[in-house]
Amino acid sequence: MATKILALKNFVHSPFKALLKQPVSFNINNLKCISTSPVFCVNFFNKLPAEKLWKSVTSVSNAGAKKGRGKGAGRIRIRDLNRGQMIGVGKVNMLWPGLSAPVIRGRELLKQQRLPDDPERMEKLIKLRDSMTKFRRLKLSPIERGWSGVRMPGRSLGPPDPVAGEEFTGFETKVLQLRSLLIMKGTLGRTRNYQAMVVTGNGQGLAGFGLGRAKEASAALRKAKNRAGKKLMHFDIYNNHTVYHDFYTAFGKTKIFVQKQNEGYGLMVHRAIKEICQAIGIKDLRAKVEGSNNLQHLVKAFFIGLLQQRSHQQLAEEKKLHLVEFRDENEFYPMVVASPSKVRTKEEIPKDETLDFIQYVMNDKVILKKKKFPPFYKTMPHYELYLKKFERYRNHEKIRLNLKVEYGEMKSFLTDKYPDEKVEKDD
Amino acid sequence: MSLLKVIRINTKHIFTKHNETHTLYISNRKLSIVPSVYDQENPAPKFFSSGIQVLLKRLTRPEFSKVFRKRTNNNTAVLKTPVYKFLTDEELNIEKEKANTNADRLLQMPPVVKLHEQINDVLSKDPALVGYDNSTYMFTDITFGVANEHRIIVQRNPDGTLESCDRDTRKRLNQIYFPMQGRKIREPKVFSEPEKFNGLLEGEKYEYILDRACVQYEPDERKYQEITSITYQHIDLHSKFDLLRSTRHFGPMVFYLTWHQSMDRLMLELVQSGVVREAVLLAALRQAVHNDLSNGEDYNALVSEILPRPIQLTKPEILSEEDIALDTKCTELVDTYINTSSSMKSQQALALQGFREYYQQLVDLSRGLKKAHGNA
Amino acid sequence: MPLPPASGTGKYYALAAKSIRLIRQGCTNRPFFHISVTQRKRLNSQPVIEQLGSYDPMPNINNEKLVALNLERLKFWLGQGAHVTSPVAELLGLTGFFPIHPKSYMTAWRNRQAELDRLTSEKEAAKSTA
Repeated sequence: MATKILALKNFVHSPFKALLKQPVSFNINNLKCISTSPVFCVNFFNKLPAEKLWKSVTSVSNAGAKKGRGKGAGRIRIRDLNRGQMIGVGKVNMLWPGLSAPVIRGRELLKQQRLPDDPERMEKLIKLRDSMTKFRRLKLSPIERGWSGVRMPGRSLGPPDPVAGEEFTGFETKVLQLRSLLIMKGTLGRTRNYQAMVVTGNGQGLAGFGLGRAKEASAALRKAKNRAGKKLMHFDIYNNHTVYHDFYTAFGKTKIFVQKQNEGYGLMVHRAIKEICQAIGIKDLRAKVEGSNNLQHLVKAFFIGLLQQRSHQQLAEEKKLHLVEFRDENEFYPMVVASPSKVRTKEEIPKDETLDFIQYVMNDKVILKKKKFPPFYKTMPHYELYLKKFERYRNHEKIRLNLKVEYGEMKSFLTDKYPDEKVEKDD
Repeated sequence: MSLLKVIRINTKHIFTKHNETHTLYISNRKLSIVPSVYDQENPAPKFFSSGIQVLLKRLTRPEFSKVFRKRTNNNTAVLKTPVYKFLTDEELNIEKEKANTNADRLLQMPPVVKLHEQINDVLSKDPALVGYDNSTYMFTDITFGVANEHRIIVQRNPDGTLESCDRDTRKRLNQIYFPMQGRKIREPKVFSEPEKFNGLLEGEKYEYILDRACVQYEPDERKYQEITSITYQHIDLHSKFDLLRSTRHFGPMVFYLTWHQSMDRLMLELVQSGVVREAVLLAALRQAVHNDLSNGEDYNALVSEILPRPIQLTKPEILSEEDIALDTKCTELVDTYINTSSSMKSQQALALQGFREYYQQLVDLSRGLKKAHGNA
Repeated sequence: MPLPPASGTGKYYALAAKSIRLIRQGCTNRPFFHISVTQRKRLNSQPVIEQLGSYDPMPNINNEKLVALNLERLKFWLGQGAHVTSPVAELLGLTGFFPIHPKSYMTAWRNRQAELDRLTSEKEAAKSTA
């Protein structure tokens, strides 16, 4: 393709050159033999200007355009073939004083002369032209990127606009959803509206979400952002990293099971919930969504669940029992985190009362645990063969590490004993 | 305190009889700590006697927040989500009992025993086997359920002798066939390279050193006793006793210091921090180990009074009359100890004087409060 | 575990003859042996009845050859009338568990003899050059 277009270009831009008898092998010493008189020669390529030639290549018939031809990936694009070319610089690397070089350099008068050819010139030109043909998507830096490329969900919008002079310092807004709503109207036909859902928060317990609708996407986002800034809620964060207890929450058909986690666990949650957690400042959480994945319901359900959390003291008072924490890293020492004003005795507790903490805070809901099947390859005969084959290598890694620790390289006491033996090189 | 005195106190009771090749000198700010090991009299009968064990445990002053502190070395790569339970009072008490036994397990002291003796036990000599092989054959009995120390491990030397292996070889082979978690077959560089060891000492990682030494060595090994000895002396020299409190190593350290008659700095620290009861316990420990105090009976009588009382983790704000009586007795006894048997008389006397003044204020305050409340 | 464990997967027939033998387990140029009890007619590549120990014939860094023996089970199988192959019997002899195997004495004697021959030939060679 490139060579074809190159040939075309040669005809379009230098028709005369093509007509010369020996254009490439002309010599500086026999300049006299070049004829400067025009040679009468007309063809399709020098008769028409570049524009018309390009049009003949790129134009699509009316019927074709209706069918959608000449659009999308396969479209031929008009290229500026003059790009990267300079007057006075050509295939033959000539020095033209006054055109491509100064007339006087120092105290010397420069003369026309041929310089050694640049073999990479044509390659560079072709590369430059090819770069014009490809369709390039808008690209964002990984930091600005949302959940998926340049699409808005997951992208950051900055803090909401100040309300009555009050600045939202330290706030960050994340887009959760941006979608177009199409409505049929009697007079206007199909009209398009944009709806945006965003969450904003300062990462220190203060957060809110907002919904905005407008004719333009940017207006919808702005509206949503500012609305979110006006509906901030405060959430207590347990030990500055997670929620107070596991909880179950639902909105419509969306059910969320949220589990408190240890420090360093991270956010193993739906991406929208992850953005909310980051806005609030929760660092470690696990959540499972069951039922509908409707994003607006998801967000609402999660916020409701967070708001309905009870503190340890409240839980202890509800149950009239001590709430005791056991941590593995503290050798399961019973830490009383909350004690009620009056503790019930064993006799006062009814037999059918829920005493299990998780069951109680989960409101007797149980997370569906699906059976885990082994990966498909583990049931295949070759997997057993592979295991048999590689069992003998099972400790090699460790041995290599130990040898490196001891000797600084892959060697052992036997290497010194038998210096002629070839040693396996290990990087 | 003068530097000379520091050296004198710390080198006074050091045995210099042990093998020169094994000696590990640790230079520390131009002071060299000479390790001393238990190679004369066997300390085990005294260390394990119930009276001394009780004293050592009491002196450890176990504080549960430190005993059950977050540990990084308890084989958990990641933290686990805490477990919550609703408990009644009785259940909570049962759990606390469990925690107490757990604390006892965590605070179990590494044993203090005498240095082991070399095994020299030739089973047979067969000169007809000379030339059979140039290598030694090591035979280990891997019968299930035999303790490491009772395992049969023998070697056939190239000269045909069959003999029991020495301690080091036994330890190595036991580790090969029955590996102990954390113990290395080759000595860790922390212990073999003095600079690294010194770095740990300077960084005050005493507990780490002692824990690691417990895993790597047996308590009757010379290397173990040298390492612990240097660490204890380093702690004593810098009066960093608080770093070992509530850990299992405090008891052996106090025992070591008492055994080598250099517990006066600890006594000074106790008096300075105002825990005279523990000072009495320490003096009683000295009496139990060496039996060299003039009024030994008084100490024992007072110890039996102190032990039933709860451990004083914080300084009391209000004192009862019984407490005042007991503390006064303790102060007097410590005073006599300082005057008769201490080697740091002046400093300890000064510290005790400071304590007396502070205590008098406290006594006045609590009596005044009682009067004000009207239930005196 | 894809490979059978080293002990206890072989079929056991009470009346079949048993043999205690060395079974090579190492890889190329690196011999390593299990001391196992297996049926006498069975190949070394087949599963064994029980592993009784191990033998590493390559000297380690301290010039030692390590042998592990489960003496309790060894006694049991000897009581069952298991046959002991000569390499194992040699090892057991060196342990002091059996009397020294005659082969060990023969090997020792031959090695000493070879060493003597070497020394004398060296001496003669030195004489002839001098």
